[in-house]
Amino acid sequence: MTMRKRLLGWLADAALILYFVFALFPIAWMVILSLKPTNELFSTYFSFSPTLDGYRTVLGDSEGIPFVRFFVNSLVVSVGAVVLSLLVGLPAAYASARWRFKGSENLMFTLLSFRFAPELTVIIPLFVLYQKLGLFDTYVGMIWVLQLVTLPLIVWIMRSYFADLTPELEQAALLDGYTRKQAFLKVALPLVKPGVAAVSLLAFIFAWNNFVFPLILTSNEAQTVTVGALSFLGGDRPKYNLTAAAALVSVVPPLLLALTIQRYLVRGLSFGAVKS
Amino acid sequence: MTELELRDLRKTYAARGRPAVDAVRGIDLALRSGELLGLLGPSGCGKSTTLRMIAGLESVTGGDILVGGSSVIARPAQQRNIGVAFENYALYPPLTVAENLAFGLKARKRAARGDVDRKVREIADRVDLTPLLDARPTGLSSGQKQRVSLARALIREPDVLLLDEPLSHLDAAQRDTTRRELKRIQRDLGHTTILVTHDQEEALSLADRIAVMKDGVIQQLGTPYEIYDSPANVFVADFVGEPAINLLPGTATDDGHARLSDSARLALPVPVAVGRKVVVGIRPEDLTLTGEDDGIAARVVAHEPLLESGIATLALDGVERPLVVLTDPEVRLAHDDRVHVTADPDLTHVFDAETGDSLR
Repeated sequence: MTMRKRLLGWLADAALILYFVFALFPIAWMVILSLKPTNELFSTYFSFSPTLDGYRTVLGDSEGIPFVRFFVNSLVVSVGAVVLSLLVGLPAAYASARWRFKGSENLMFTLLSFRFAPELTVIIPLFVLYQKLGLFDTYVGMIWVLQLVTLPLIVWIMRSYFADLTPELEQAALLDGYTRKQAFLKVALPLVKPGVAAVSLLAFIFAWNNFVFPLILTSNEAQTVTVGALSFLGGDRPKYNLTAAAALVSVVPPLLLALTIQRYLVRGLSFGAVKS
Repeated sequence: MTELELRDLRKTYAARGRPAVDAVRGIDLALRSGELLGLLGPSGCGKSTTLRMIAGLESVTGGDILVGGSSVIARPAQQRNIGVAFENYALYPPLTVAENLAFGLKARKRAARGDVDRKVREIADRVDLTPLLDARPTGLSSGQKQRVSLARALIREPDVLLLDEPLSHLDAAQRDTTRRELKRIQRDLGHTTILVTHDQEEALSLADRIAVMKDGVIQQLGTPYEIYDSPANVFVADFVGEPAINLLPGTATDDGHARLSDSARLALPVPVAVGRKVVVGIRPEDLTLTGEDDGIAARVVAHEPLLESGIATLALDGVERPLVVLTDPEVRLAHDDRVHVTADPDLTHVFDAETGDSLR
């Protein structure tokens, strides 16, 4: 009996390890690729002389590809998009959670519908518009178009956070002499901080990972890492080691962000599920 | 202190595509300074809407609200100086008890810092919160939270105090102590107070006067004794009193009785036109079990001995509704026992069967 139990335990462990290897293999493969020297790229699997040359090339802006600028662009555009969405979206989410006004549900649904329309369906008219308006390949243009990605996310998730707060807290603040604006800023908003942290991270990741918008709406000045990393595949022969290095570097900001706000994240994502 | 007056106060909720709902249909109330009025009614009767309109948290459809003689309906909540203790306390979780209490004073920037501290200590002392001033609301019991909520409403020295179901989330033991505290504090400080509740015990024990509400209309306004002794209609009679009043349909006879069935008759307290359909109301505590050949014959359906008294459910011959009687503790009854009951006509109520209004 105990023998059998122990055997089952080992089998379960083995299965988990197998799954672990399966799940992490692509990442390991990327790391291996990024450490390979160019001449051993296609001739070796696991035994090669590892080098950081790939990273040096990518971060040193050689090969004529300004990767560092793409990286900075990604940061500017993603942070900008999230900040703008928070500025617009938090009051919007609060209003839609607290009041039903004429057309409020239609407005919310319209916002949500941005998420189910594939980006490709609007990209050609957007391209034409951006060319005419002078927004093509600019930060403003990218931050603006990324609102399609970040704003619905922030409004819809924050709406449910606000709806979970009892309105009596704000009402008590009103009776205590606060204005509506103060009740929102000083009473409601601080209580949904974990939610803001969680949703900001999600929105940042979505914005950072976006590919189609920068692919079509930027060319050089405002191009982001998702598109920029691909540049290493162009030319006479694809440089997989450089692409892998670029991809791994571009994983760092979302990862760091997730680690820093992890504390809020767990609280934020479980908020609303359990009512105090 | 201040008197509060409601004049023909109305609230209609209108939503597109749905019929408008009249939540409050013309309420007239005048509270003397320092009076505690209980607004009693079942859920959905408009009592909370009335309270929220007074506080300024709900817009007013019609009528007027006067605090100290001047209309406040044009003023937003923050300019009305009305204190509310909310049903679920609405304490601000990140702040300590002391900070929660100071919140209102700081928000209004009325008091200097030293003044704020002094007032917090004073009010905390009054509601027995001094040892808890540094605690956060999450760690407090419901009774303690209710006291913080009350103290927060009081610290601003409001013209009018509104209590929304202040005892409904407390357990039985806390309810008794908090109720006594509430009464003492309100009397000491002398605030004009409205207490909204669906719990008759709460209203009867705390209020100077009670307004019983149903469907947005005040059914009766009076002292607890008036409400209990002479209910204005069937609804008030039925809503106030535990166990509930017996309400038996009958027809007035030519000798001053109501005929409930071929064999059961009850004497009426007032003359009623012969043949008129009435509802006779007798409280279980006003019925007496008697010996043979006195009063109405009945059969025992059930008897619940409750130590300090008993509740007997009786069936009258030919009468559909059971008759509930409060019995003395020493009475022992068994199923199907034959008993007789009498009712004092002076303690009997009679209502018109159609309108439900009292005929007394």
